[in-house]
Amino acid sequence: MKNNRLGNAIRGLTYTLDLPLVMLLFFTLTLFTLILIIPLATLFLKPLSVLSLRILEDLIRYPYVSIPPLGEWYIVSDRGEYKLIIVRFKDLGVIPNTILVSSIVTLLSSIIGISIALLVARYDFLGKGILRIISIIPLLYTPFVNAFVTYKIFGDGGILGSLMLSLGLPYSIEVTYIAGTILAQTLMFWPIVYLNTLASMMQIDPSLEEQAENIGSRGFRLFRTITLPLSLPGVAAGSGLVFIFSMEDLAAPLAFKVDNMMSISIVRAITGSQSIEALSVEVVILAGLLLLSAIAWFILIKHYISLKQYAMLARGVRWKPRVSKPSLPTLLAIYLIVFPLVLFSMLPQIGVLLYAFSKSWTGVIPEGFTLEHFSNVLFDSRVLNGLKNSFIYSTLALVFIVIIGTVSSYAISRVSLRGLSAIDLLAMSPLAIPGLSIAMGLLILYGSIFKDTLIDPYINPMFLLILAYAIRKSPFTTRAVYAGLQQVHRSLEEAGFTLGASRTRVLFTIVLPLIGINIIAGSMISFVYCMSEVSTSITVGSLNKSQAPITYIIYDYLTAGYGGGAYIHQASAIVTLIIVVQLIAIITSNYILKFRYAILGI
Amino acid sequence: MAEVILDNVSKYFGRFKALDSVSFTVKPGEIFTLLGPSGCGKTTTLRVIAGLEIPEEGRVLIDGYDVTYKKPYERNTAMVFQNYALWPHMTVYDNIAYGLKIRKYSRDEIKRRVKWALELLGLEGLENRYPLQLSGGQQQRVALARAIVVEPKVLLLDEPLSNLDAKLRVRVREEIVSLQRRLKITTIYVTHDQEEAMNISDRVAIMDRGRIVQIGTPAEIYYNPYNFFIATFMGRSNVLSGVVERVISDKLYEVNINGLRLNGTSTGAKLSTGEDVLVVIRYESFRKADENDKINVIEGRVERLSFIGLALQVKVITVNGHVILAYLPPREVIDTGAHIRLYVSPEDVKLYPSITGVID
Repeated sequence: MKNNRLGNAIRGLTYTLDLPLVMLLFFTLTLFTLILIIPLATLFLKPLSVLSLRILEDLIRYPYVSIPPLGEWYIVSDRGEYKLIIVRFKDLGVIPNTILVSSIVTLLSSIIGISIALLVARYDFLGKGILRIISIIPLLYTPFVNAFVTYKIFGDGGILGSLMLSLGLPYSIEVTYIAGTILAQTLMFWPIVYLNTLASMMQIDPSLEEQAENIGSRGFRLFRTITLPLSLPGVAAGSGLVFIFSMEDLAAPLAFKVDNMMSISIVRAITGSQSIEALSVEVVILAGLLLLSAIAWFILIKHYISLKQYAMLARGVRWKPRVSKPSLPTLLAIYLIVFPLVLFSMLPQIGVLLYAFSKSWTGVIPEGFTLEHFSNVLFDSRVLNGLKNSFIYSTLALVFIVIIGTVSSYAISRVSLRGLSAIDLLAMSPLAIPGLSIAMGLLILYGSIFKDTLIDPYINPMFLLILAYAIRKSPFTTRAVYAGLQQVHRSLEEAGFTLGASRTRVLFTIVLPLIGINIIAGSMISFVYCMSEVSTSITVGSLNKSQAPITYIIYDYLTAGYGGGAYIHQASAIVTLIIVVQLIAIITSNYILKFRYAILGI
Repeated sequence: MAEVILDNVSKYFGRFKALDSVSFTVKPGEIFTLLGPSGCGKTTTLRVIAGLEIPEEGRVLIDGYDVTYKKPYERNTAMVFQNYALWPHMTVYDNIAYGLKIRKYSRDEIKRRVKWALELLGLEGLENRYPLQLSGGQQQRVALARAIVVEPKVLLLDEPLSNLDAKLRVRVREEIVSLQRRLKITTIYVTHDQEEAMNISDRVAIMDRGRIVQIGTPAEIYYNPYNFFIATFMGRSNVLSGVVERVISDKLYEVNINGLRLNGTSTGAKLSTGEDVLVVIRYESFRKADENDKINVIEGRVERLSFIGLALQVKVITVNGHVILAYLPPREVIDTGAHIRLYVSPEDVKLYPSITGVID
């Protein structure tokens, strides 16, 4: 019976697709299996094979869990003429810290993101256009340095505290340690919830809300009972991504000097390891836990994260969304809370520029305009080598990405075969799988299989990097191509078949010319995300310094290699260059694709 | 000129049986129409012939070859889609030349053949336009040119006129028929428009819920609809329910329609006395009765008159309270409210068993 079903599936597949396409599909699935599924499975299998009571006991002791919690929630210190309030948070150990921080960041980001989305979607006010544009800015990817800027403003001896003192206030505030991490991540990640929620809200048929109003529901009840449930796809996708991003974020814990986080522990373990044997089982388990939490979220929100759902969202706005004039309290909330918050969230990006162009920034205001940092980094052979490496890896990854993106989106939208629908989930899953788990999985699997061969990641990490880039950043292209395929009517292909063209020929002469623009736009996005990829770059990429990509160099500038945060001006200069590349790519591809939210919304 | 045979073809979409043992033979060179309401399986049948769907059961033969599991591009059929499916990134010339390039004709030969097709369909001068720059009628002709230029064994037309306005529809319809007569390509035509089907076809197959219910020339089907569904689907009819009063012969029966007694014929099943029947009478089957008409006369009062051009539509309330609609010659002089006597010939009173009749 089972064989028969398999036989039918294969017969159906070879009937629907011809050999070259079946092979491409096979290639794509193999890539996903080798780079994603098997390495991730290894994360669980490997610890199981050596698991002992001692390891389990280790995992509930310091540093993994600390009972009782260490440190103080906050400290008030008397400095004579003023009181210094230091908000800190207690150290609960690696595992509870990470889960707690991610949960709090997700909650805060969701509250902020949903509120702002609601205001932007439903009210018309002066400056709305500007608000919409600048609320995207925090999404510009500035590896590591954005958190250092947040630290500069809120952390020890930060600008905020100095400002309060210079204003003559009797109090001064510093947000440090885990509390600072939460703050920095919230500022970084709320726009993800905002953009996804906004996209959902713009799709709600106005008559649904009008009907509810018509029978007497209004205000918060209307929001709670109608608007929010209907926006749930966006809210779920956005907050789910924030949870995962927060868990694997390195920038904030680095900047705020929090060592007891899962992400930091994993990265330190890998970068410090000389060989595959040096990796302890405990960190492998951490990477597995990271993955488990992500999978838990993924299952929870899986309804909302598939491509097909996305197609519903992206079908374009067919109606004019409901907008109304805000009441006075709402207006006050917009100008007194929303605008400052959005501007606030831009500070890391602005700060990066300030660092990049200033001679020094030790006080409140940066001093001395200079282009020196740019010339310095551009003459630093390590930086040039890193840029070159990143460029080569990203370009090669792009070859795979175009194949993966085109083949899987074509399979999802054109081949109706039971079992093949799993591709939909598979193709989108890299968005939700922590890169650090992938990095760890790849390393422990291929590090032992290919030990001391040409492709041993401890000798030549570039091969794994390219493949990891390809898998991790393919969803952006897959999604853009899928959107294009939605616009191409099936009969255009069928007309080709009946005139004697094979599937492959139809693909090349009819489908590709019609969706080429989507492929280009999607690849541009994938490319910039490859260039700024962090998780695998700073772990796998660190194993052979001459093959390290640019994000590792930035990381190195900010951490051990050159001293903690000391070279932030130079790092900011590199990041500024990356921002420019991102802006060009995002603006061009949005112009091409003509839907702003879907692509930027991660 | 190829013969197309469908032999007991069944097609499922999940649990839904889209085609239920469909069998028919299309003779070489004829226009064969699949006619039926939307969702009856006519387009699916066409797609099975084209190879765009594979049936779960049965066989498809084109020109004697079993092509059931052949891919669409191995069948040499050409299909004209409802939405024309012209490739927007190719010019008219490239659209038409596409199939020829696949068949690896020389450049000169392709040029010659495209020119021939352009002339045949009156598209000269448009070869460098893109589909979006063409009118609906022109697009439709390009789609037709693209299909016939490859000299397919079978031409498949899927509601090719449904996107054209009424006037253009008649013109393009005539063009398709004259083109087909000249080229003698076996043509299978799908439509839900019974007038179009009767006008264009050599033979028509009526489909209902995935099954073929009757095959015949337009006249055969029109005058001898095999069941109640076909009788009411073709043309406009009055539907009444009655009881068989008397069996006159195998075909001829007297029915009692709630007091109204008529003689009628059954084209399908034999009926017996006392059986419930559905009585179908087309609007145009009536004429004004004269003194000689003793039987099959319906008497009543003229409730409403509407002039519809080719006829005068008369709404009659009979003495037994039935509502009857009848087409009379347009210049007939009748007054609203007047008493009227209508005659209908027994062979135009179609009788169908009412239990199976409604379902089947």
